[in-house]
Amino acid sequence: MNKKDFLKQLSEKLKGISREDKQDILNEYEQHFTIGLDESRTEEELADSLGNHNEIAKLCKANLFVKKAEEIRSPSNIFRAVFATISVGFFNMIFISGPFIGLLGLLFGLFAAAIAITASGITGFFGIIYESLFYSKYIVIGINTFAGIFICIGITASGLLLLIGCIYLAKVLYTLFIRYIKFNLRVITGKK
Amino acid sequence: MNIQFKKGVLELCVLALLTKKNHYGYELVNEISKSVLISEGTIYPLLRRLRDDGYVDTYLEESPKGAPRKYYKITDLGKKMKEELTKEWLTFTKNVKKILEGGRENE
Repeated sequence: MNKKDFLKQLSEKLKGISREDKQDILNEYEQHFTIGLDESRTEEELADSLGNHNEIAKLCKANLFVKKAEEIRSPSNIFRAVFATISVGFFNMIFISGPFIGLLGLLFGLFAAAIAITASGITGFFGIIYESLFYSKYIVIGINTFAGIFICIGITASGLLLLIGCIYLAKVLYTLFIRYIKFNLRVITGKK
Repeated sequence: MNIQFKKGVLELCVLALLTKKNHYGYELVNEISKSVLISEGTIYPLLRRLRDDGYVDTYLEESPKGAPRKYYKITDLGKKMKEELTKEWLTFTKNVKKILEGGRENE
């Protein structure tokens, strides 16, 4: 492979990142060729020792997406960062996707519980009011109407509190997980 | 050959080289690949990451041969990181050595 092919293929694999970042990366490799050629190495030799352009592109993308997820917190950014990092290598697949799915499951469960508790409180509240208005003599759950109403308000409030707690937890986990991804990216897989 | 490096070793190599003097990318790649088997191309993404994290800085300098070259320079934060990584590495190699020599003492 010569210099032109190498840069062209690398450029193709770098699709999906900003033009400036791409140009910056390509310039770096172009400079590598320029200096190498000055030191009387051949284009083929240089391209060969640089290695697989696909691997290089994956690493560059993973770095960029992780950086972006760090700067702008959003679900889509963290997903992109996770996928880009997973594609870098087999080890990342295990060490990143495993914990990621676990944490996602945990958050999902907690959110679902918080919503369910809130919803049950609200339903109970209206249920009791409805019942006391229309069938005041037959309170099904068998407790005082006012006590029932306060219990339901309490349930709703704790559901909402749990929900707020979940949002904080999600934020904290986001930051920690980015740190974890970066830690894993420090393992460079080299093929030769 | 497929190598999985201990975390941070390549960073340590780069930072150590840059502690002695500023280098351009090609020099760093050359120096490192002399002693460590690695696809040379993966060092550039590493350099970008070190720059993004503020461990190194870049600047352009004219070269006697044509186009200006992009040089890398270590920052104060990078120096601190290098100290930490060096300590980690020395402890690691010391422990491995202990195992290799079959040290009997259980500490």
